[in-house]
Amino acid sequence: MLTDVSWNLILMQLFFGLALGSVYVLLASGLSIIYGLLDVVNFAHGTFAMLGAYAVFVAVSLSGSFIVGIISAVVIVALLGTAVEILLLKPLYDKDPLLPLLLTFGLSVAIPDLIKVIFGLIGKPVAYPEALSGATTVGPMIFSNYRLFIIILTLVVLISLWLFLKKSDLGMVIRAATRDRLMVQVLGANTSRLWTVGFAIGIGLAALAGAIAVPTMSATADMGVEMTMVAFVVTVVGGLGSLGGAIVGGLLIGVIIAFTSLIAGQYANVTMYFCMAAILLVRPRGLFGESGRE
Amino acid sequence: MDKAEMLKDVAPVPRATVVWITACILALLPLVISIPLATEILIWGIFGLGFNLLLGYAGVLSFGHAAYFGVGAYGAGLALLYWNTGLWSSLAIAIAAAVLLACLIGALAIRRRGVYFAMISLAFGQMLYFLALSPLKDITRGEDGLTHIPAVRLFSISLARPKSLYYFIFAITVTMLYLTWRILQSPFGKLLHAYRENEERAKACGYNTTLVKFFSLVLSAFYGGLAGALYTFYLGYVPVSTLFWLVSGTIVMMTMLGGKGTLLGPLTGAAVYLFLQNTISIFTPRWELFVGTIFVIIILAFPGGIMGTLRTKYVNYRMARLQQSGGAAAAGAGG
Repeated sequence: MLTDVSWNLILMQLFFGLALGSVYVLLASGLSIIYGLLDVVNFAHGTFAMLGAYAVFVAVSLSGSFIVGIISAVVIVALLGTAVEILLLKPLYDKDPLLPLLLTFGLSVAIPDLIKVIFGLIGKPVAYPEALSGATTVGPMIFSNYRLFIIILTLVVLISLWLFLKKSDLGMVIRAATRDRLMVQVLGANTSRLWTVGFAIGIGLAALAGAIAVPTMSATADMGVEMTMVAFVVTVVGGLGSLGGAIVGGLLIGVIIAFTSLIAGQYANVTMYFCMAAILLVRPRGLFGESGRE
Repeated sequence: MDKAEMLKDVAPVPRATVVWITACILALLPLVISIPLATEILIWGIFGLGFNLLLGYAGVLSFGHAAYFGVGAYGAGLALLYWNTGLWSSLAIAIAAAVLLACLIGALAIRRRGVYFAMISLAFGQMLYFLALSPLKDITRGEDGLTHIPAVRLFSISLARPKSLYYFIFAITVTMLYLTWRILQSPFGKLLHAYRENEERAKACGYNTTLVKFFSLVLSAFYGGLAGALYTFYLGYVPVSTLFWLVSGTIVMMTMLGGKGTLLGPLTGAAVYLFLQNTISIFTPRWELFVGTIFVIIILAFPGGIMGTLRTKYVNYRMARLQQSGGAAAAGAGG
């Protein structure tokens, strides 16, 4: 029998896992949108999240406001992503499909070192915003306000993303292009610009994930690889190119990591990979993957 | 005469001489550059030969090849350290471990196409890294890696001397290069080619293309395990970084740099990459910035890599010559 104390512990850990998972959801949905539209697996996804984290650090130290920091981080990194798409990825679309992937990999090698040159080797911490620094207590349980903020913000972003994709004209074209790019081209949409918009949205989501994660972990140049890895695992678990898969997969992985670190700390880094292997055995295309798109 | 048929006459098919000329160059390499650098070029070259079979010929991109390299390195290290096995048995153990791992990962993931396999292989590679880092710390010694590995002996010659080790690895490299050349001439090699050019068509011809991918993965793991074991002999210890994703990334960069799908691409790529890394790191510890940027430029401007670009230039030159001398004469000569 579980006592009240352990139930409280489990609830608190669940909350912790959902907050962690929210960051993963943002990361993976960005990856999914980019893959769905451009057919590019962005190996530099975590690198852009890392840039988002550093952008928050810079913006917060300049403006002093956390909200301004997050917004400017997302905008700046999304613009950077736009530039990367237009200058580096566009020339590769008609060639070998592995080339865009390799190019983003090259970026993920070069950019962290550039950040080390600019900001030094030591990580940059960002303090919790004052309004969110406390904790809410429910009975004997303590919930960090900031983690609550992460969950709510993710919810808001996902709902707006969903409304954008379902209700707006541009969103409709994006969904159509994800399904059948040739048809959309034939119907006269400017797909080239569509790819740019899609890439910018995906990168913006990655930057947001990095930006809101900073206060809990501080920005380091090498954090990108881990974030890319998480995004990949979540995407394989949820199904490549599926937004619903990214959400369920992200929350699932977040909660699993939270509970593993509670029970067997040294396995915390490894469980998500076991989880991925298990999913691959049982359901190779992921939880929500479509049969058509492998 | 159509273009494809003309290509058959002008496209260079590597002859055995290429292997022997390369062997001569590699034999003289320690006279030009330092022995440790030359040794590393050979080790990464072997690794790349196998990786290229998978990427360049079967067209499968693995981003988790550190797994095979690292398992090979740990396999040889553990065998030497705990069981004090000799040279050949530790090599055999390393290769067997890598091949077994490839069978496992292949069975799980090789059916997945292209990008999916790249992601999954990367994730499995990182899983092994974290396993070695912490949960298996008692065996792998975690962050410290395996130290105090006894030096290996070939008959009565100690391979602790850099020069003897170099020529031992040199012999293995030439063997593997020759073997690779033979594999590419074999029916399996032709099948690899057919698979890369048109998977659907190869399938329609009755070939089991999944099996082709699986075998090339296992084959490249053989090379990876071998290279990992040699790396252990060379370093005298096994750092946990042999399993890190950067190793997978490095072999991808080397192979693309040298030219995927060319016989000598991986060796060339390894040589250029390591030379660049060595030279740049004299001036700055941030060599990854330069190497990454160079890689991006290669992808944008020369996706064929060094050897691939040279080959295209050669083919174009031959084509121009053939067209100049007249289609009829070429057809007669081509016969």
